[in-house]
Amino acid sequence: MSDRKIVFFSAFRHLLPSDYENWLERMAADGWHIHHFRQWSSLFMTFQRDKPKKYRFVYDPQVAPRPEYQATYEQFGWEYLGCMASAHFWRMEYEGERPQAFSDLEGLVDRNRRNAIAVSASFFIFLAGVSAITLALGFASDSLSAGDRIQLIIADIFFGMIALALGYIMYLMWKNLLR
Amino acid sequence: MSETMFYILLSLKQERHGYAIMQYIKELTYGRIILGAGTAYSSLGKLERDGLIENIREEERRRIYIITPLGTQILHEEAARIAELYNNVKELL
Repeated sequence: MSDRKIVFFSAFRHLLPSDYENWLERMAADGWHIHHFRQWSSLFMTFQRDKPKKYRFVYDPQVAPRPEYQATYEQFGWEYLGCMASAHFWRMEYEGERPQAFSDLEGLVDRNRRNAIAVSASFFIFLAGVSAITLALGFASDSLSAGDRIQLIIADIFFGMIALALGYIMYLMWKNLLR
Repeated sequence: MSETMFYILLSLKQERHGYAIMQYIKELTYGRIILGAGTAYSSLGKLERDGLIENIREEERRRIYIITPLGTQILHEEAARIAELYNNVKELL
């Protein structure tokens, strides 16, 4: 049996931060460990097989963390795993009570809101792109060659599909702020 | 003001860093509230931005905070509000 497992598009399969944390925890309990997160980890990530461990993971979106960010978590016993886009990942091995990085509802909602805002920003950027292309197709269609028109239509459909997917993820995130 | 914010302000009547704040609150509430790292980081940032606490120095990468005069005033107002609440409901207890 292989000692490595590559998982593709994990960030698109576990959309909510709490779901992502729970999935990582289940993987660790099954003996699949990730020791570093990188910018491209949302596209593919490599797990190494080792002894099953009980880890608590934290998914913490921080666009511009203050200098004391890492030291604060480390004081509390968390191990830094790296950063994927603006999401920072931490883990802590535990027995008994599951450790919580967000110990009150306000902190948890704040974390989830930061994540929802990041996805919403991406959604509106893609929506603006789709709108601009649609407007160009509508108002400047006569001045475009047939080839340019087809390229713009393909781009419009492609960005439109991404905007739809982001819109759905955004809806899920805003709906589940308490999770 | 949330219970967590109140206890953080209360703990900073004496200078403390994040982990020491967690230990103080845990002891004070008999283990009921165990402040998490993410909550501590965001709460301390918010209280500092609002001018209720200030960072006075750094020791071994740990930021040490203390309550400001404005923070003390807000803490006393909040304590008075909680006392009033308690007086109004104590017959239920």
